[in-house]
Amino acid sequence: MGVTCVCQVPVAEGKSVQQTVDLLHKKLEQMGAVKQGSFCVDCETYHATGNVSGQPSKLLYVMHNSETPLSCMALFEGGPCLVADGNFDVLMVKLKSHFQNAKGHKVECRGSRYRYCDFLIKVGTVTMSSSARGISVEVEYCPCVVPGDCWNLMKEFMQCFLSTSVPELPSVFAAKPEGLFAPADCVDTMTQYLELFNKLRKLQIPGSNVR
Amino acid sequence: ISGVPFRLKETQSSSCEKQVQEVALDGTETYVPPLSMSQNLAKLAQRIDFSQGSDSEEDGPDGESRDQDRDRDREWGKQEVEEEEGTVKFQPSLWPWDSVRNNLRSALTEMCVLYDVLSVVKEKKYMALDPVSQDPSAAKAPQVFQLISKKKSLATAAQLLLKGAEKLSKSVAENQENRRQRDFNSELLRLRSQWKLRKVGDKILGDLSYRSAGSLFPHHGTFEVIKNTDIDLDKKIPEDYCPLDVQIPSDLEGSAYIKVSIQKQAPDIGDLGTINLFRRTQKPKAGAQPWHVKLEAAQNVLLCKEIFAQLSREAVQIRAQIPHIVVKNQIISQPFPGLQLSISLCHSTADKKNSRSSPERTKPDDHLYVLEHNLHQMMREFHKQQLSSVVMPRPASAPFGHKRLRLAGPLAYDKAEISGLQQSEGLLEKIIKQAKHIFLRSRTAKTIDGLASRIEDPQIQAHWSNINDVFESSVKVLITSQGYEQICKSIQLQLNIGVEQIRVVHRDGRVVSLSHQEQELQDFLLSQMSQHQVHAVQQLAKVMGWHVLSFSNHVGLGAVESIGNASAVTVASPNGEYAISVRNGPESGCKVLVQFPRSQTKELPKSDVIQEAKWSHLRGPYKEVQWSRMEGRNFVYKMELLMAALTPCP
Repeated sequence: MGVTCVCQVPVAEGKSVQQTVDLLHKKLEQMGAVKQGSFCVDCETYHATGNVSGQPSKLLYVMHNSETPLSCMALFEGGPCLVADGNFDVLMVKLKSHFQNAKGHKVECRGSRYRYCDFLIKVGTVTMSSSARGISVEVEYCPCVVPGDCWNLMKEFMQCFLSTSVPELPSVFAAKPEGLFAPADCVDTMTQYLELFNKLRKLQIPGSNVR
Repeated sequence: ISGVPFRLKETQSSSCEKQVQEVALDGTETYVPPLSMSQNLAKLAQRIDFSQGSDSEEDGPDGESRDQDRDRDREWGKQEVEEEEGTVKFQPSLWPWDSVRNNLRSALTEMCVLYDVLSVVKEKKYMALDPVSQDPSAAKAPQVFQLISKKKSLATAAQLLLKGAEKLSKSVAENQENRRQRDFNSELLRLRSQWKLRKVGDKILGDLSYRSAGSLFPHHGTFEVIKNTDIDLDKKIPEDYCPLDVQIPSDLEGSAYIKVSIQKQAPDIGDLGTINLFRRTQKPKAGAQPWHVKLEAAQNVLLCKEIFAQLSREAVQIRAQIPHIVVKNQIISQPFPGLQLSISLCHSTADKKNSRSSPERTKPDDHLYVLEHNLHQMMREFHKQQLSSVVMPRPASAPFGHKRLRLAGPLAYDKAEISGLQQSEGLLEKIIKQAKHIFLRSRTAKTIDGLASRIEDPQIQAHWSNINDVFESSVKVLITSQGYEQICKSIQLQLNIGVEQIRVVHRDGRVVSLSHQEQELQDFLLSQMSQHQVHAVQQLAKVMGWHVLSFSNHVGLGAVESIGNASAVTVASPNGEYAISVRNGPESGCKVLVQFPRSQTKELPKSDVIQEAKWSHLRGPYKEVQWSRMEGRNFVYKMELLMAALTPCP
């Protein structure tokens, strides 16, 4: 697992989500990237019930990533996170009295996975209750785990096919202590996805672009 | 009751008063304490005068009644004594020793009678005894009787002796039987400490399979423990006799082994089949029980069968470019073209005749013992894996399966890591890889050795590393010239021999990959050797004070070499008068030219252009040196001599 950057790609003008994704695929294939199956990231939201003294109820996000097929990540809103195995989903059912599943809030991101030498590129469409909300691009540089060491390389690589919409250093990495060996891990990736999902959720649906 | 036979010496009056024991000075009297009943009795008994027995004969018929009376009276007397202390009325009938006295008296009477009879007999005046004449028949009868009685007694004595002997022999036999029983039991105990046994009905069955060690081979591997009874007790027990014997399944009898070999050329398919190769039977270790040897052999047969079954199953399942062939007890695979790896199961049953009569081709021993050993080891590893995979999950909520896979979830293993955990190569694939490596290694060694023995100049040295992996080993190859090892160290190659290819790492870090073809390695080494010569000249020039004018590893001019490229160097003498140019190709060999100064050449044609004397300092033409006629051990030595000859004396 290397350093991962997740970013949102705006839908091209006058094009649908699917068309924009196809455009990206074409660009990647022109570069020489090889398609290697597909990927899927999903996120379910839980409300913590029974909170004390009228505080706003905290949210718990349970996420899965097809890249780590046996794991299940649980992230508290702005708080600790947890990595567990697949049994965690079953456990959440048992904890119904404490965490209620917000049914309508399920977010999914599906797409294809490309490999270009040491880079893994995943282009996916983010769907929320069966409506496409946006496009996500995940770029992973596998040989390195220290974000600061490879960020410029990644940025340069992303410029090749994203041109203008290259993101800045993700905030999860910016928060990491410098100088210390703080490797990027799967939780960083999931945090970035979560940020993206939350951003897209707040977005108003621009009726014309979504089918 | 009358006739009391004794007299009291003292009257009763004496006991009327208490006896005074002592009178103190002040006049107080101390009385003797009154006698108890028993004391009184004893005291009275002392007074009896037995000598004054009465002669009255009237005891007997009324003795019994007298006894009864006495008992009654004594009871009464006791009461009396208790009532009036000290006053004991002595009635003769109450005397307790009455019966004693009577008996003594009757005894005395008897004695007297005896005495009288004896005296009558002894003193002949009363009676005479005359012998009566005896009847002869009467005398004979006792003899016959004696004989009969003697015979009878002898017979009984003999019977007794016989009985005793029988008992003895029986006990001896029993002892022996017991000992044998005990031996059987102790042997059984020993067997049990090493093998799994269970009792089914009246049989004792054992298990020699590796199932408990994780084997999945369906053979049940049961053996039966039997008591060895077919031995004659009377005869001497042979040395190797063991009361316990085991019966193993017939298909596990004999000895077996897996043979792995690599052959160069493939024989006809028709030629394949049952290989009859038998090892010399191993002599059992001294001190080992025969059953143990037998069981171990059977277990080995079972393991060999399991390995072979596993290999042949994989051979059929795996799709290789060149399919593996499974014929009877042989698996044939082609690791490299023109090469075949054969794995065969050799199972010899006990009858030796069969193996002797078969026309055994006495081939050189081409066993690959390392691979055979590794096969066994891998099988055991497989067993262990099986065993460890069924352990219960811990913690209890963890999923079943591989131990390390349990961490995959919490540690967020990605796809590559998980597939790395799950991926398990088959036995056959592993062994083929190992065989490839072993073959490649031995071929490399042979190539290097062949070159080293064929080519004397330059020399080639190979340093094999001792520590190898099953799939990788390395060798360091040095190319040197004899006598100049210190100055000519340019070519040092590290050969990493893998499964499919050889990676050559140069001293300067360049990496060349060679395939398994031995020609490639040979050509590469030859080109390296030819380069070495030119390098050596360059190094020598430095030592000799010559100047290197030009140097090229790969010359673009001249004849094209079939192997690699020719290399060339040009060196000039210290004063610049002479120059030596060397061109060395792996195929064309070396060509040495010497350039003379223009002044020394005589037959130089007069040129119209070069007229002035200063032009005589220009370099002259080249002349080839007849290198084979040069004196010297090797190339570098010859070159040194040449350089020395061209260097002017100071």
